[in-house]
Amino acid sequence: MNEARVVLALGRRALSVQFRRAQLLMPTFVLPLMLLAVIASGTSAAQDLRGFPDVASYLGFIVPGTIIQGALLAGLTSGTALAGDIEFGFFDRLLAAPVHRTSLVIGRQAGTLGLSVLQTTFFLCVGLAFGAHYPGGFGAALAAIVLAAITAVGIGGIAAALALRTGSLSLLQSIFPFVFVLLFTAPAFFPRELLTPVLRDVAAYNPLTYVVEAVRGLLTGEHGLGDPWLGLAAAVGLALATTMLATLALAQRLRAT
Amino acid sequence: MSVSESNPPAVEVRGLVREFKGGIRAVDGLDLEVEPGEIYGFLGPNGAGKTTSVRILTTLLRPTAGSARVAGHDVVADADAVRRSIGVALQEAAIDPLMTGRELLRMQGALHGLRGPAARERAGQLLERVGLTQAADRRVGGYSGGMRRRLDLALALVHRPIVLFLDEPTTGLDPTSRGALWREVRSLNDEGTTVFLTTQYLEEAEQLADRVGIIAAGRLVAEGTPDALKARVGQPMLHVELAEAESAGRARDALGGLGRLEPPDPAAPTRVVLRTPNGKAAIAPAIRALDEHGVVVESVEVETPTLDDVFAAVTGSQLEGAGAVEAAA
Repeated sequence: MNEARVVLALGRRALSVQFRRAQLLMPTFVLPLMLLAVIASGTSAAQDLRGFPDVASYLGFIVPGTIIQGALLAGLTSGTALAGDIEFGFFDRLLAAPVHRTSLVIGRQAGTLGLSVLQTTFFLCVGLAFGAHYPGGFGAALAAIVLAAITAVGIGGIAAALALRTGSLSLLQSIFPFVFVLLFTAPAFFPRELLTPVLRDVAAYNPLTYVVEAVRGLLTGEHGLGDPWLGLAAAVGLALATTMLATLALAQRLRAT
Repeated sequence: MSVSESNPPAVEVRGLVREFKGGIRAVDGLDLEVEPGEIYGFLGPNGAGKTTSVRILTTLLRPTAGSARVAGHDVVADADAVRRSIGVALQEAAIDPLMTGRELLRMQGALHGLRGPAARERAGQLLERVGLTQAADRRVGGYSGGMRRRLDLALALVHRPIVLFLDEPTTGLDPTSRGALWREVRSLNDEGTTVFLTTQYLEEAEQLADRVGIIAAGRLVAEGTPDALKARVGQPMLHVELAEAESAGRARDALGGLGRLEPPDPAAPTRVVLRTPNGKAAIAPAIRALDEHGVVVESVEVETPTLDDVFAAVTGSQLEGAGAVEAAA
């Protein structure tokens, strides 16, 4: 029971600090919307391409890409904040407390989960305000929020593992461009069928492919565009594997010190 | 402070070694014991092994060899019990600048198992105790160095620890903030908390510590009460400056019975130097004796051996704030 309180306290702290640090807030809330605006205005002709699915709105089709980009950035900034805690000594304060070591990782992940929920809700609302349609309905939007949140935890796990392994804030900051590699090797803004064969092959190995397609399938109500269960499996698998990785990285860090 | 004989030592260290990569031994066979209720000053220059020792004692670092027990618990085998028993304020207060003082205290309360209302109440008590009630809801980034240190202390006290570790708690603080922190440390000790204080300031160790351990190159090179340590390097000296050189003979006659007179210095004919075990307490009898012999005195100064003299004697180097002379009359 106490560990649950610890996780909650650490999650609350991670979330509140996120909103007080502009360099973390900007990439998580503003950058994805900027990319959404650019893609929505610059590539909307793509929906006229042969093979592009017949959807209610182009914006509604590409919002899932923004949601997944947000999840990626939420996870990464969470790892960056953890690296900052390690580098500036705050993590020692946590280590000196009588709490289960795993709770320190889970607490951070809880903050990432909360951030992603707020972020995805915000993106969905902005999309709606600018004309996106979500024929899948309210329940589908909720499911999309859950999927994105689990994915953010998955990415947060990788970032936390890196932070715990290296304790380097600058390293975490330098991997920021990889977000776009992961994003564009998944069919974030275009249907998988319209990607080049090479990219399509790469996308098949990117777990984000299944999440973004699942979110798209949910929001558009067209399950042919993405299988929600496959997306859930990919997101949960990623989250479990990377959280375990982060826990192992913490154990290794503690052994090394 | 009285100590029950059945209580285990608050800190017990035996043959502690910590080796880092490249074979560097930051702690090299450390032995020490701190009794419950003591303020133990752990004194040494930068790089002597103070912080490494504290990190081991607070479970943040594993020893390479040897053993350490805090509040009766082994720091490796029973680390969680150690963590429940100790409060830690580490060097350069590691406090999230984006959180408020109250938020940090409530979070610390949760880490130590306090439920919502209890954590809130405890946070309020501690904020009041360290004089931060007015600043409680301001972000810590806007706090002064002294405020941060006081908050750090409050954070270390959330769960009413048995042993409090303070790692260079006043480094970089102005004299007023330093004085306020010292008062708080004394007050905590009066309430029964054992304090393990690392410092590189002689004055801090002299002001606060019941006993002092001097560490150099990872080893304890001297230990004892400040007075006992200082007595090891010599007695205090009374420097009497006379108004006239002609009265030096009478002055020596007057002071002869109060201690051992140093030989006259031809370069300072108006000065008489007396070695006395009584230190400051010898000033009044000396003035009286000089007055009775009709000697006019210009000034009297007491020069007491400092912990730096002790440190210099045992290690051959000097510490921060060395060379202070207490002046009187």
